[in-house]
Amino acid sequence: MSLRPVYIRSVASLGAENPDFRQLFSPLEARRMGRLLKRAVWTSRQALDAAGLAMPDAIITGTDFGCTVQSENFLGALKQGGDATPRPTDFMQSTHNTIGSLIAIQLGCHGYNATYSHKGNSFRSALRDAWMQISLGEADTALVGWFDEEFPQVGAVDRAVSVVLSASADNALARLEAASFSLTEEALLGTVLELL
Amino acid sequence: MSAIGCGQAETLAALRERRSGIGPVKYLETTLRDFPVGEVKLSNAQLAARTGAPAHWPRTSLMSILALQEALQQASLLAEVNTAEGEALPGASAKLFAEGRAFPAALTAALTLVSGTTVGGMDLSEQQYPAYSAWHSCGASTDLAAKFLGFSEATTLSTACSSAANAFIYAANLIRCGLAERVVAGGAESLSDYHLNGFNSLMILDREWCRPFDASRAGLNLGEGAAFLVLETEESALQRGAKPLAVLSGWGNACDAFHQTASSENGEGAFLAMSKALKCAGLQPSDIGYVNAHGTGTPNNDASESTALRRIFGDRIPPVSSTKPYTGHTTSASGSIEAVFCLLALQHGFLLPELNWKQADPACVLPYVSDVQCAFQVARQSDRPEAAGNSRGQSPLKGVNGIANVICNAFGFGGNDSAIILSRV
Repeated sequence: MSLRPVYIRSVASLGAENPDFRQLFSPLEARRMGRLLKRAVWTSRQALDAAGLAMPDAIITGTDFGCTVQSENFLGALKQGGDATPRPTDFMQSTHNTIGSLIAIQLGCHGYNATYSHKGNSFRSALRDAWMQISLGEADTALVGWFDEEFPQVGAVDRAVSVVLSASADNALARLEAASFSLTEEALLGTVLELL
Repeated sequence: MSAIGCGQAETLAALRERRSGIGPVKYLETTLRDFPVGEVKLSNAQLAARTGAPAHWPRTSLMSILALQEALQQASLLAEVNTAEGEALPGASAKLFAEGRAFPAALTAALTLVSGTTVGGMDLSEQQYPAYSAWHSCGASTDLAAKFLGFSEATTLSTACSSAANAFIYAANLIRCGLAERVVAGGAESLSDYHLNGFNSLMILDREWCRPFDASRAGLNLGEGAAFLVLETEESALQRGAKPLAVLSGWGNACDAFHQTASSENGEGAFLAMSKALKCAGLQPSDIGYVNAHGTGTPNNDASESTALRRIFGDRIPPVSSTKPYTGHTTSASGSIEAVFCLLALQHGFLLPELNWKQADPACVLPYVSDVQCAFQVARQSDRPEAAGNSRGQSPLKGVNGIANVICNAFGFGGNDSAIILSRV
């Protein structure tokens, strides 16, 4: 099977500091979404804008632990008992694919949507899946993200990185080669962030 | 493995005898004891004894290992490994190796494992809280199984209840792109107090036995289990003289993009997933002989899925059933457990009648509940000239035994909807 080349069109990343979310979310939306979700939507928008793309064909997400704060809220309420009631919003946001789904809901994107949660292989699997979707001609563009939030109890660290991949070489930052998937995940992230 | 049995033989017997595995909570530590569940009828200690793995590992890992051991044995890959390389993994005891529960390192190191889970090691974290288990994450529970059996590479899909179906899609694409020759894919999910309470907080659990597509349906029963398939190219199977069980002929993944926990009224995500799967397989709706529905038993899912089925099939809907009244909703594992049910039905020439359905709902399809009804529906299909064969040149439908292609649906929170098509070889 002949495979198409895959290009990196844009990269967006957030450090520990939060941006001014008011530019993107209404106060009601901001209250409902946890910090990780807001950062994920933010970098996704940044990457799409930088690529000049309104709607990706695929949304593929990596997260080592998902929304740990919401998991902790739900588990805490469950275990402490008494007046603490486990809240459905916390449960909903503790499923790992809540991030990729939220991005799709915000964009109205019905395309391919997948989430990888495998520490040491979350981002690499997401990027490789996107590479395959484009290589095989099933998608022309893909929005790939890696999102986590600091939660020492499980060793989670802050991450918010978004990458737009494309079958088109126009305005590409670099070509994404299959060989890069033999890199460790941190090294792979390094090569992506160098493009910033 | 699921509430109806451990391994293919028990599973097949239960399906043929129409035996449900749903009942009161027995193994799970939970305060929600008045909800029926579909538990695997083995304690962690019993799972450990059967697999040779430590009993203090996450239940998701233990169930994965048991299912993987059976899948690897059935795929007869052992002949592939020459005796010089045929040594057991370091650490695997000679006893396990002799019993076929450990595998030669050269066998499993050449395989990629793609699993789907969402609960991961939450069963341990909820017992240790406020401390978290070292194996809390989804990937950690996959890694334990991968390392125990010697897989060189592993990854984990986590798209809630469509995780295992998406594992098949990722695995198929790895093979198509030439990045892997053989991939073992599926999913595993243990019950946890966490997600039993989570589904309860969403008010979608039924206190009675679930009734998908029934007018009185009031929610789902949670279940647990694990199932894996060994996937390879036709060329690879022919080369080693292996007899394939079926063809993974199509798959589709789409996002409903409607709501985090509810499905759209027009079933757009489900419709797109099935449409993509048909296109991928090069099949027409009339080529499909059976649909294993996601059919959870919630008012919302079943109505939305029915709308999608009507959009795909019009007034010629093939037999449709949900097998969740047998197993409960096995969440992340449902896509692979139900794919195995479809394979068993294809192989042994029977269909999977829905249990516990009584009353039609105008908003829902009529599920297949008996062989009599099925024979009628299949005969009606065979009357149509376009059903006489399909684009892959497969034989025309001949009663229940003649069903050539089945769709297996798995839909998840966030509208992560997937469908796969399994075809007779």
